Amino acid sequence: MDRLNPLRSVLTGHDLTFLAGVPFVYHCHHYNLFHDQTLDDALGEELGAQVRFRAARSACSELLRALGSVLGASTPPERAELASLLLPWMGHGRIALSTSNTGGEATGTHLHYGFSWREKYGERVRREAPADSFAAGFAAAACEFIEGLPGGEIVATEDQCIALRDPGCHFTLRRTGRAETSAPVVDLAATEGLVGATLEGLDEARIAAIAAGLRDFVKGVAGDERGVIAAFGVFVTMHLSNYYNETIYEAIHHVERSQPALLPVAETLFREAGVQCVFNTFGNMLLSPEWEGLVGAPSGDPFELLSSCCAIARGLGFGHWILHEYDPGKRLVLRAPVDYEVPFYLRRYGRSGKPRCYVLQGAALAMAVLAHQVRWRESPRLTEEFYLSLFRGKVAWAAEQTLCPTRGDACCEVVVSAR
Amino acid sequence: MSSQFLDRIAEDVPSLRTAFITAMPDCLLFASWQTKESEVDVEEVAAYFGDLVRSNRQGLKALKTWSSEMQVTIESADSLIILRELNADFVLGTIFERSAPLGMVRLHLKRMVERVTAQLPKVTIAERPRGARILEFLERYAPDPHAILLRISLRTGITPEEFQTPEKLSAEQIVRLEEAACKLLGLKQLNL
Repeated sequence: MDRLNPLRSVLTGHDLTFLAGVPFVYHCHHYNLFHDQTLDDALGEELGAQVRFRAARSACSELLRALGSVLGASTPPERAELASLLLPWMGHGRIALSTSNTGGEATGTHLHYGFSWREKYGERVRREAPADSFAAGFAAAACEFIEGLPGGEIVATEDQCIALRDPGCHFTLRRTGRAETSAPVVDLAATEGLVGATLEGLDEARIAAIAAGLRDFVKGVAGDERGVIAAFGVFVTMHLSNYYNETIYEAIHHVERSQPALLPVAETLFREAGVQCVFNTFGNMLLSPEWEGLVGAPSGDPFELLSSCCAIARGLGFGHWILHEYDPGKRLVLRAPVDYEVPFYLRRYGRSGKPRCYVLQGAALAMAVLAHQVRWRESPRLTEEFYLSLFRGKVAWAAEQTLCPTRGDACCEVVVSAR
Repeated sequence: MSSQFLDRIAEDVPSLRTAFITAMPDCLLFASWQTKESEVDVEEVAAYFGDLVRSNRQGLKALKTWSSEMQVTIESADSLIILRELNADFVLGTIFERSAPLGMVRLHLKRMVERVTAQLPKVTIAERPRGARILEFLERYAPDPHAILLRISLRTGITPEEFQTPEKLSAEQIVRLEEAACKLLGLKQLNL
């Protein structure tokens, strides 16, 4: 941690966060599981796992190579040490790698997806496919990194997974000899070239101060002896934005091509992941002793709550979210110069004909609901039952993204209106 | 279904707090009665205890000890719950105060069973569309129930609008729906 923490940076005015120039954000297991689940719904288990694995291998490879370069990890033992340190530090569990230039194997414990899936769903349903495509991608990227192989030559298969009720997670690594065509890199340098001017909104001074405090706070957060970050009642991960973005947009584009009539369904589900994020991560942060110590307990004032959510978003690396307009109880306009989704879309796919900030859309809706329908002074428990009471059926608020830089607009804008 | 006939039967039974009739095999509430003080979500209770009776019925059949007179008694901290099969299609559930003497409860229950059975409508229960039953099963048991219709839509290629009229789903769509439901729930088959 002492070596990695100084490599964090923030793109000033945009609140996008980077580690050794590679973009990252914080997300909890509720978001992560819903995100991966939606990929499988859209693509099927087999293709879904492939897309997740490729995106993870690509994003992890960028990070490992960037860290290796900055930290001077030039020999295989140094690179292996760095790889084994990184995953638990980010809250993804531990992985033991045994590699050669033809592949090898990896054994995981408390790997984020399998571990948290078993915790959340394991008693309710039986899973048929392994859960840890992200760790598989990491293991493959780590093998390439340690052995000095070209990117994309190693494939990893998870042949045991705790989500399948196996005693642990195990991966077989195999060299294919076929390097994958590299896609345009989305890093700090590329992002700087894609963002415009920053913005200011309502309650700016308070939001900026809290966001700065939160960023300092999360610098001290790292995986425990299991490689797990258990905080705010959720399992938190420091995660690679490029993984989220590549998987979402590959799935969305697949649905656009193969079943266009179901595109609104896929988009609604990816927005729903954003709702889950705000309800679980933002909500539990607001109710935490740490928040009370840093900011004070929520007073129940909707405007204060919305302002706090913007600060959390900035602190977690989601972007420079601002409250552009607020008409109490009626309308909220949330803006950001870009969120963490936009630079990726522009760099990889160019202009879009429609708004593409699915996490922002879901988050804005959830912020309005949390601000107006939760009695914060009563310290509610943010349970699944409470979630369903707020978001099952017709929700009292509706969100629409009206501006998006992916289609040439000057900023992201989501308008949330009371129904 | 009007619950008036059950009101008349249940209101004079001492120590009785709640009574409900569950239609099998779908575990849907058919009729219910409860005291003003009782705050039971009877639809939910009818569904859960219907499942319990179904499992019990199958377990006893596997043990070759099932009989149509089957009765389940649950003694909880403050309630005495008795589930009684009326016939293949209906189950009577009763919740008494825990302090009620068991002998009196059995006596009152016997009388209730006779009166309820006599008043159950003599109709043949139409088989509900399989698509509707699969969707209800998913909404009850799948994770993230609020999103299940969207998830199953994306997996099957059947639009949410088509799910509004499940009786119109084609045989091929039902097969896709059932396969996707099995996958989501980790089951080899749906016994509905």
